[in-house]
Amino acid sequence: MTPHTLTPAVARRSPSAQTRVALVRPKKPLRWITTAAVAAAVVGLHAVAIEGTDFKPELLVDGWKGMAAFIGDAFPPDLSWEKTLRPGLEATLVTLWIGLLGTTLSVPFALLLAALAAENTSPHRLVYQAARAILSFFRAVPDIVFALIFVTAVGLGPFAGVLALICHNTGVMGKLWAESMEEIDSGPQEALRTAGANRVQQVANATLPMVVPQFVGLLLYRFDVNVRSSLGLGLVGAGGIGLLINQSIKSFQFDSMLTHILIVLVLIIVVDQFSAWIRRRLAA
Amino acid sequence: MLLSVQGLRKSFNGRTVLEGVDFSVAAGELVAFLGANGSGKSTTLRCVMGITAPDSGSISIEGTALDTLQGRDLQQARQRMAMIFQKIHLVPRRTALDNVCAGALSRIPTVRSLSPLLFPADVQQEALDCLDRVGLADRAFDRVGRLSGGQQQRVAVARALCQRADVVLADEPVSALDPHAAEQVMALLRELAHSEGLAVAAVLHQPDLALRYADRSIGLLQGSMTFDLPSTEITADHLDTLYAPDRDVSDRKSAA
Repeated sequence: MTPHTLTPAVARRSPSAQTRVALVRPKKPLRWITTAAVAAAVVGLHAVAIEGTDFKPELLVDGWKGMAAFIGDAFPPDLSWEKTLRPGLEATLVTLWIGLLGTTLSVPFALLLAALAAENTSPHRLVYQAARAILSFFRAVPDIVFALIFVTAVGLGPFAGVLALICHNTGVMGKLWAESMEEIDSGPQEALRTAGANRVQQVANATLPMVVPQFVGLLLYRFDVNVRSSLGLGLVGAGGIGLLINQSIKSFQFDSMLTHILIVLVLIIVVDQFSAWIRRRLAA
Repeated sequence: MLLSVQGLRKSFNGRTVLEGVDFSVAAGELVAFLGANGSGKSTTLRCVMGITAPDSGSISIEGTALDTLQGRDLQQARQRMAMIFQKIHLVPRRTALDNVCAGALSRIPTVRSLSPLLFPADVQQEALDCLDRVGLADRAFDRVGRLSGGQQQRVAVARALCQRADVVLADEPVSALDPHAAEQVMALLRELAHSEGLAVAAVLHQPDLALRYADRSIGLLQGSMTFDLPSTEITADHLDTLYAPDRDVSDRKSAA
């Protein structure tokens, strides 16, 4: 390498116009072919997908009357206290409790599996692989499927919903936590290792305290998601406001359905605002 | 000699980083390692500390070679050495006291080290004494993240003291600090060597700090030692060989 190659920065500052570097973009002749090929592929995929999902907008246009009647039946929402509002609020509380317990009770399992499934804290390669596999399984099975399984064991009701959320959330939160542990600065852990601390001591006194803010942020995010998924669990009989929405649709009481949906809307906004507020305070 | 190192060699992927480094550090002495980037200063410390495994060479503490020890004895011998890092490596969310206690983890049963609330009272008292020795007892219950860079590095020194190390290896301890804080930390390291009898070896990027604070300075160039002299005998020529544009030197080496 020659030590005195003129760098572009130096050339730009050169007083003489003759030494200016000419602006010539390197030509890439194959670029437009690539672009065209990618575009064609994307269009083709969409054509297949439209075919595969019976995507026919004309059906929507023809069937607008059915939809209008449905929505017309739902308005005005049924605001009678005894028949709709009170059961709705009570069931919403149940939904909230399902989401809360499903989140908090999965913490110990998620924490243990996360520590075993993070490269920088796992004691052994085999343990790491096993923990990853367990987390993948719990993540892959949808919470609705877990709910259906638990309903057969503990019967219809919110308990089955809590159990279902614990299982699914362990898989998701364990994975998210393991990843955030792998991303943090490994320096403090190395410092304790050189000081003679064993593996458990390193994790408890360096790795975990370093990731607390990320952990709490992810926990709140999962709480938010779990409250919303516990609505869906109600639809398969695992209690909460989802169950009431399902019942009011089946008995054609669309005005009660609308009331329940409005209550859910309020609940979700409140939970969202709450977790955003906590995360803001953590970041500060 | 408290720490003596002989014939330390290390290469990464066929590239030689250390070509036989010999040095020793006596109790009560602060020794500086000087050299350009890539000269092998940090690798030397990391090999001595056992973070990086050397290809060959012998490391002895008070005359006992580490490679003759095994198991518990080896661990105990290693714990007589503590490391100070350029990036400090404390846990910012924990208090200074809790971070210093972590230096004593090898003496605390695992169950009692799961949370700072469980740390034994005598360890906490010892940690506070260590903070007092670095002049930060009044900040014991402040989160480390709230302290200045210089204060954080002094907390890291206190953690090394709480480890009861008598050999302190400092890898660019002041490179991330402002000039005033750098002076404070260097003064602290010299003080610990001179008045408490620690053997301190520090990799430094600023020759002027080495000349003013270190009792002895060792120059490393391309993995070999070029001088090992009392700091008072270091001349500008010595430093020029270390930091002179090393292009012609490396050309000669690769041609050879």
